[in-house]
Order: sequence, then structure tokens, then C-alpha cells
Amino acid sequence: MAKVTVRLYGVLRVDTHLAKEEIEASKLDDIFALLNRKVDAIYEENVKEKPSLEHPEKLSFKDAIVYINGDRCSKKNKALKDGDDIWLLSPASGG
Amino acid sequence: MSVLKGYMGKVLKIDLSTRTHELFPWTDEDRRRTIGGKIMAADILFQHIHPGMKAFDEDNWIVVTTGPLTGSGCPNTSRFNISTISPLTNIITSSNCGGNFGLSLKRAGFDALIISGRASSPVSVHITEDEVSFEDAAPLWGKLISETQEMLPDDTDKLVIGPAGEHKVLYSCVFSGERTSGRGGVGAVFGDKNLKAVTVKGSKAVQIAYPDKLIPFNKKWTKTLKTHPLTGRQLPKLGTAGLVAPMHAHGILATKNFSAGRFEKFESVSGEELAENHLVASSACTTCVIRCARSVRVDNKVVKGPELETLGLLGANILNDNMELVLKWNYELDELGMDSISTAGSLAFAMELNEKGMWDNGLKFGKTDNISETFRKIAFREGIGDELANGTKRMSEKFGGKDFAIHAKGMELAAYEPRRAVGQGLGYATANRGGCHLNAGYMVVVEGLGLDVDSLTPHGKAALTIMFQNLMEAISACGSCLFTSYAVFPAFLIEKPNSLITKAILKVFPYVGPVVNLLNKFTKAVKLNVPLIQHTYALNYVCDFKATLGTALTVGSHGYNMERMANIILGQKAGADVLPKRLTEVAQDPNDPRTKVPLEKLKKDYYRGRGWKDGIPKYKTLKRFGVALYPDYYEAIVKEAMSNG
Repeated sequence: MAKVTVRLYGVLRVDTHLAKEEIEASKLDDIFALLNRKVDAIYEENVKEKPSLEHPEKLSFKDAIVYINGDRCSKKNKALKDGDDIWLLSPASGG
Repeated sequence: MSVLKGYMGKVLKIDLSTRTHELFPWTDEDRRRTIGGKIMAADILFQHIHPGMKAFDEDNWIVVTTGPLTGSGCPNTSRFNISTISPLTNIITSSNCGGNFGLSLKRAGFDALIISGRASSPVSVHITEDEVSFEDAAPLWGKLISETQEMLPDDTDKLVIGPAGEHKVLYSCVFSGERTSGRGGVGAVFGDKNLKAVTVKGSKAVQIAYPDKLIPFNKKWTKTLKTHPLTGRQLPKLGTAGLVAPMHAHGILATKNFSAGRFEKFESVSGEELAENHLVASSACTTCVIRCARSVRVDNKVVKGPELETLGLLGANILNDNMELVLKWNYELDELGMDSISTAGSLAFAMELNEKGMWDNGLKFGKTDNISETFRKIAFREGIGDELANGTKRMSEKFGGKDFAIHAKGMELAAYEPRRAVGQGLGYATANRGGCHLNAGYMVVVEGLGLDVDSLTPHGKAALTIMFQNLMEAISACGSCLFTSYAVFPAFLIEKPNSLITKAILKVFPYVGPVVNLLNKFTKAVKLNVPLIQHTYALNYVCDFKATLGTALTVGSHGYNMERMANIILGQKAGADVLPKRLTEVAQDPNDPRTKVPLEKLKKDYYRGRGWKDGIPKYKTLKRFGVALYPDYYEAIVKEAMSNG
């Protein structure tokens, strides 16, 4: 297992309120699963108080645009190493 | 006289010199040829301009146009356009705006407004369905944007300028409410004409050809926009500011006067920071279902928040990581009436000149305590502000530094650093109004931000740039917000960037160039509509236009060629489609020679695709796309353009 930093941006962050997570994982896929579990737990906690709350994760983590240490990565089974800095982004446009 | 539905059928022309007004002839044939908006404006200016005409000539016209969808009930169609000869670039500028002025102009019974002449003293013009009146604007002169608007009647929609326009800052703006007709110095042309404000009000309705079809269509279109990952999620939740993080990640966030594409402290001036710690509410133009605008608090007032361009160029590009300052500066620029892109671009260039010892001006990267005062000096043309007010190109002519003077045709570039998005670089260089990201075709949306097409390859980029430029030209002419064009990209490709299907499609995307070139050339042969492009359906339901995708491409190409030819008439030389050497000769990553814009290769493909030579449309190209010019006149102006070109 590697200790990595995961930073979330865009809709992923605004929807989940997760900005930066320190995670232990061996592959990129593991991170997606861990984040999904985390979001589910937060949702389950909050939905008790606010039943109309929608599940935030419309754009699933596995569909995020991923950068590892500044380089784009689209291999879900990419092996991770200690200290990796992982950015998860949602697609964007504007003007 | 028949008038297509969707149009009001009248174009108002006012003469400030004589304080008179008349109707300007405009027929259904003209409407079909141009649709409206910026193409209509370019057509009107094209008929009027002559070689040697300048922005501050009394006979330069300001043309304010709407589109047939403006006021039709279609989503995101409150846009209007202002075109004129730009004092910044000396060529045509077209500046699109989202305020309510266009809607009200149509309600007053006019599709467009032409402003000619020059008032002998400050004046405001007031337009209703029944009359046009001229009032002394001395009490308004010198007032800030918000003060000016507050002093005008509440029940009108307005165009106003601030102190920067009055002092003819070459990139001063015109405001309508809190929205801005920002680029190219339209405000300075108002100022030169002593025109402080225009108000309009009316109550007429736009006639619709097929209301029974339009209503369900609009519901469907609205649903598409509200569910698309770009127009329905990213833009409403983060606004255009949401681009800062992906631009940093992709290495295209203009940093330190475009010397780099990543800013270490980008998080402090990102859309996420704006959303989490500064956002009061999202807001929208009338009829907009996307709601990309941000409201923030500055000095306990709720004001318009910054767009991506302002955040990027007053953040990373001058090495500022203080969001509070960006919000304050954005507000100050709005009040003074200046384009934040050109102001910030000029500022960054001046900082680099100072850093290199070429101009001792007191401005330094990362130094923020003198920026507000510098804005004021620019607006009032005091001290160093008088130089900055002339923009990057003119400063480079005076102080040197042309290689890192970041502009195209005199207009400062937007916040996208193009060395890792080379199609966007081609767009910047070839855009008719200068360094504009949208007029460029906005290739960056497929080069890493929305879709992940190889952003360093030149393959296919020229053909796609031409198609995007033409399509956006036509969409803008309809009166639609250009952001609606992002929904033409299938949601699946955006939502599933890592799927094998998406990867396969994006892999072949650069190689569709030859097919796209055929579509670009034989536009009239495209006899079908494509469900992803809703605007042609809307034209048919509103106007009975019988439009197809081919119509949009034809009219778009007509507009692009006509604007280009107008620029040539105004003195643009062959070889004007260039970028500073920093972007074309210096690799962003010294270890990767592909990280620069291969402009000559891209331009070769682009000119071939456009039917241009050295940036000048061939006569047969003009004929193909309905741009009428006498052969002798064409030969004469081309000869002039080739001289010293």
C-alpha cells in the first residue's frame, strides 16, 4: 500500500465537499472505491436529517480526469507509490 | 415588404452630429444572408467602411445588433452584439454582451441600432417605440458605471460607458446592467462620439412562425442544457472560474505573462476557492438556464464576481494568489469600464518590461499594493496609465519586448496559454478580432478541458478550427449565448473520458480533418440538421428559415470571410495572423519541443482549408460565400495588403 494525497476539483469537489484526502492505496482503482465509500457514508449521515437530499456523486470518481504528479493518467489499474500527488478533475468549459 | 418572423423588421440609424434619426434599409434577403448579430453588423460595416477609415473618425459607425432568437423564448438568447472599428486593433471588433439591452431593443421594434456621427458635447440617447430623443449628458459625464446606470430611468435598459471610455482607453467597455461588451475598445468609440449612454424600452412581442412547435422544442433544448455535464453541472456550479484548476493541470493556465502554463498557488485563485469561500449566489442573464454568473461581496456590496479570464489574468499571470484582491479589482475595473483581459494583459507585459529593465514603471510580478491605483491611472490616462491605456502592442512598439508582447493583431490574449493547446494557438492567431479565445473557435474545449484530444498535434486542428469558428459565428448571429455550443459535444464523451469508446473516438478525432475540410468547403451541400446543434431547429421554428447545418456553416463562413475582408480594407496586411515568438519559438517545456505552437504548419493547412492566401480570402472564396466585391476594388486592396505585408 502507498500513502498518497488525493485532491479533488470541479464538480467532484463542490458536490462531495471533499477537497484533499490522505489515502492508503495500491492502485488508482482503490482510490475510487475508497472515495465512493466515503461519499456514501457522508450521504447516509446527512440524508437522515434531510430526506430530500440527492446523492452527490453523479459524475463517478472512476470517470474523473486523473493527473498523477502532474501527468495525465487514464489507466485505472495504475500502481501507486508513496508520496504520489493525485488530482481528480471533472471536465470543464467556459469562456 | 415581407419580414421574416423572429425579426422586428426595422433597423434604426441615428446621427449624433445632427441629432436626427432614420430607418436603415434591411431586407429579408439580408436577413437570410447574415441571420443577425455579429454577421449582420459586419455586413453593415462592410458596406460602409473604406480604406483608411479609423476608429475615431466621425464616420466610424457603432452597430448594435440582435439575433432572430433574441426575445423568442428560446433558452440563452438575450445576447446582443456591438461592432465597430476597434481603436485597439484598427480592424473590426465584435463584442457580444448578455445584458437586457438587446431584448428591449427588439421590444422597441428594432433589430439593430446604428450610431453614426459625433455629438459636439456629451449626450445620451433615449429610444422608445415612438420616438428617439437626445439629452445633454453633462450630469452623467465623469460618473462610474453603476452611478451612471442609477441616474438613468429605472424602466429602461441601458448601454453606458465609464471614465475609461470617456478618456478613450483603447480597451474600454460598454456595460448593460452588470454585463459587459468587453473587448476591442467599444467604450472608447462611444467616448470619442461623446456618447455616454443609450437607453431603450418597449413592449412589442417577437412574432414566432411555429409557436406550437417552438414551445415543446424549447423544453427539450432547456433539458439538454440543464443535464449536459458542461452546461448543466460545471458552469452552474463553478462558473467559468471552474476552469482554473483544469487549466493548471493541463499546463495552459497563463502564468507570469505567458512564460509558463502552471501556477503553483492556483488553488487560492480557483473556481473552487470562489465557490467555497466567496460566492453569495449564482446568477444569470435573462432567458439563461445555465446560470454561469457569480455574485460575490466586495466592501459589503453584492457585486458581479470574476470570470475565468479575470481570475487567470489577475491571478496566475501577474503572480497574485489573493482572491479577495481579484474580487476587488474586478469590481474596480467594472466601475471604471475597462476590459479585464486587456487591462491585465497590459499590466503583465508592463511588469515584465520593468523586470527586464526596459521600462521603469514600478509594476512588479506578485506586487499588489499599487494595482488599484494603476487601474485608476489607466482609466484617467495619468502617468504610466497613459501608456498602459494604449495596450500591449503599442507599449511594445515604444519600449521593446515584441517577442513577449502577448497579443494577436493588437488584442491581448485570453487566459489560455496555447503552447499546450496548439489548435487554440492557431485560433488566437487567425481570429478576425484579434487575440480572442471565442472568436478563435475555442478549440481548447477539445484539447484537454472538455475532451482529451491530443493537444500538441497539429493534425486536423486547422479544419476543426475553421468549422468551430464558422459554427460559433452562426450561433452568435442567432442571438444565442456561445456557451450553448458546448452542449453540442455528446454528453457521453464528456462524462466517460476514460472509457474505451471515448478514447477510441478521441484518438481518431485529429484525423477527420480531410472530411471536415470538405464540409467547410461545400457547406451548401450539407442538407441535413444534426440534433446536437439545436440552433438551426430554433431558426426554423422561430423564423421559418428552412435552415440546415449547411445553412449555419454557410452563413458562418460568409461572416468570417466578410469580417476578414473588411479588416483587409481597413489596412490589415498579409501575414497579420501571428503570435509573439514566446509562444511559437520557445517550448514551454524545454525537454519537449512539441510544447510550442507550430503556427506556420497550422496556418498553411488553415489557409488551404479557408481558401485564403497569406491570410487574404481568394476572390473565388468570397464569391462562394456570397461576399460581394467588385473585382477591380478587390485587386486594389489585395495589392495594398500585400505591400510591406
